[in-house]
Amino acid sequence: METITIDVAIYGPLARAVGGKHIACKKIEMAPATTLGNLRAALGIKEEDTGYIFINAILCDVPGLHASRNLPLKDGDHIGFFSKVHMWPYQYRDGAQMTQELKDTLRERGAMHHSYSTSGDDCTNHSVK
Amino acid sequence: MPKKILRINMTDKKATYEDVPEKWSRWAGRALTSAITFDEVEPTCHPLGPNNKLVIAPGWVTGTPAAPSSGRTSFGGKSPLTGGIKEANAGGLSGQKIAKLGLAAIILEGHPKDGKWYTLVLNRNGVEFKDAAPLMGKGMYEIDEILGKTYPNTAIIGIGQAGEMKLSNAGISVNDSENHPGRYAGRGGMGAVMGVRGVKAIVVDDTGGPGVEIADKETFEAGRKKLTEAILSHDLTKKGGGLPSYGTAILVNIINEAGGLPTRNFSTGQFEGAAKISGEAIAEVIEQRCQGADSEGTMGHACHPGCIIKCSNVYPDESGKHLVSCVEYETAWALGANCGIDDLDYVAQMTRECNDVGLDTIEAGNTIAVAMEGGLLEFGDGAGALNLFDEVRKGTPLGRIIGQGVEATAKAFGVYRVPTVKGQSMPAYEPRAIKGIGVTYATTPMGADHTAGYTIAPEIAGVGGKVDPLTDEGKADLSLTFQAATAFIDSTGYCLFIAFPILDIATGWAGMAETVAGVTGMAVTGDDVVPMGKEILKMERLFNEQAGFTSERDRIPEFMREEALPPHNVTWTITNEELDQVYSWVHNGS
Repeated sequence: METITIDVAIYGPLARAVGGKHIACKKIEMAPATTLGNLRAALGIKEEDTGYIFINAILCDVPGLHASRNLPLKDGDHIGFFSKVHMWPYQYRDGAQMTQELKDTLRERGAMHHSYSTSGDDCTNHSVK
Repeated sequence: MPKKILRINMTDKKATYEDVPEKWSRWAGRALTSAITFDEVEPTCHPLGPNNKLVIAPGWVTGTPAAPSSGRTSFGGKSPLTGGIKEANAGGLSGQKIAKLGLAAIILEGHPKDGKWYTLVLNRNGVEFKDAAPLMGKGMYEIDEILGKTYPNTAIIGIGQAGEMKLSNAGISVNDSENHPGRYAGRGGMGAVMGVRGVKAIVVDDTGGPGVEIADKETFEAGRKKLTEAILSHDLTKKGGGLPSYGTAILVNIINEAGGLPTRNFSTGQFEGAAKISGEAIAEVIEQRCQGADSEGTMGHACHPGCIIKCSNVYPDESGKHLVSCVEYETAWALGANCGIDDLDYVAQMTRECNDVGLDTIEAGNTIAVAMEGGLLEFGDGAGALNLFDEVRKGTPLGRIIGQGVEATAKAFGVYRVPTVKGQSMPAYEPRAIKGIGVTYATTPMGADHTAGYTIAPEIAGVGGKVDPLTDEGKADLSLTFQAATAFIDSTGYCLFIAFPILDIATGWAGMAETVAGVTGMAVTGDDVVPMGKEILKMERLFNEQAGFTSERDRIPEFMREEALPPHNVTWTITNEELDQVYSWVHNGS
């Protein structure tokens, strides 16, 4: 069966899921038409444990939003998974390239925050009024 | 007892205690250093001349009992690096001890006619002027050790050889709880301004000082609890969170994955060796080298007493002993990725050299990168880069050029790619890839500065319904609001990193304002933060205008408009007209 190869870097405590300590890098073979959610599951990483996620240097998820699970992957993609402890303060994120799916989600949930996980899963105190 | 201004005139070696005049009575920290600079320093004076001053001020809440992470000290005056107004602040021991002596600010002016150098010893009885001859030519590690033996349990503010030589990249060191140097008011060359005054070191002994009065203890305590709870519950700042686990260098891999990590003098946005110099890598080194009980390396180090975030670290040598504190994000980037160096030990050793000689690590790393581009060294030459600090220490002609910072070095080596605004080099966020920060780099009165625009809650910023933060449009309004909020926080004495939890947790934001209201008795709420911040910015902007700055100084360097940055292959696209909107309110009254 034909497969695609995804280049993966995992940072922080999540690296332990694939045998690293604080950083792990590996290439993984996946079936065609796979998604980022499929990749995460194949790596044994729980969705709720992920923080920022990048695809080919484009931000596709932030802590607590889970906007990337259906993102399609193609052969040769590079994915960077960060743990929930990682920070990327808003002012250093403002203007960075991100996927349209993430932009849409941020508009719904309040774009200008550092993290979307401080009050639990509902993020209700993070909405822009 | 009301706070006093301590004015130290180095021309006649006279110290006087003055009442805080009404015009400065609302201010502390950055607001006060900028207000005094605005009122007392001739904007067109030479930064190294007799008419410049060094103003030192703790924040509003600094020195109060248990206000979390509030030990910052502001250092202000006219910058030798930018030619404009400057405030650089540092952690360490000085802010709390100055505040506990009952001082709102120290104004250092004049210079000794006899050409001698002095160590000033501040205590509850006044100021002693000690001959600094035994300290001359020495670096900050030796100075802190010598003064720490004579004056134990004191704050030590000092300059290394770079400050003695009055180099434009000379910073001011403050010792930490272990009496090591490295808490730097680094940016803008304020160490040279201290050197001009003939002051090698200032010892602050707060024993028996009056302490900090709290006007409304109930309000202060309520605010303190809210802020503390916010810090200790946020993912980034709580125990086991991102900052105490990996330090600020936790950002290296993130910014690299985003394609915004300036690499090899801002020629690309990704560094293949980023993971090796990241916070995660620092944590691995500490775990490997510090398994014995007598090991000294650690993550989660506090840069001043009372810090509950603890983003600092102690990087160990191969035996696990203290090499330097700390290797932070800007340091790892400037001396690492931007120079093409992926060896953490070289980065750490260069950081120690910066702490010792007395150089800002951001400017130093950028300077070496520019020199590499100019052909002095190959990118990636860690040993060669490390040797350059000895050139500065010895004051060789090359060392003096390097110590002047990026623009002087770029001219010396004929380099066009010069990543500066207002003479100050850029920190570790590529504005072509992360455009929002570029607006702040361009327009802040301080020169390119990543700490000039910290985010605040959208409800407070008032931008929720006005601009879309996810587009290029409206970034002028956003940047101004961030700059104003930052000017306020820089005046509180709190570490800017409280901005992370108070952005996301509304009670933390309110708590921060309540602590200021509680200490000062002023009716300050969260709604006053941006208006008060704009008052501070206006003073700074007007000083720069009177120093000769025009809007043409609010520009991102030409090469960033001309050269596309990999991997996104983007140029700087925000227009000059939009940049000019950021400070248009200063003269149109809105």
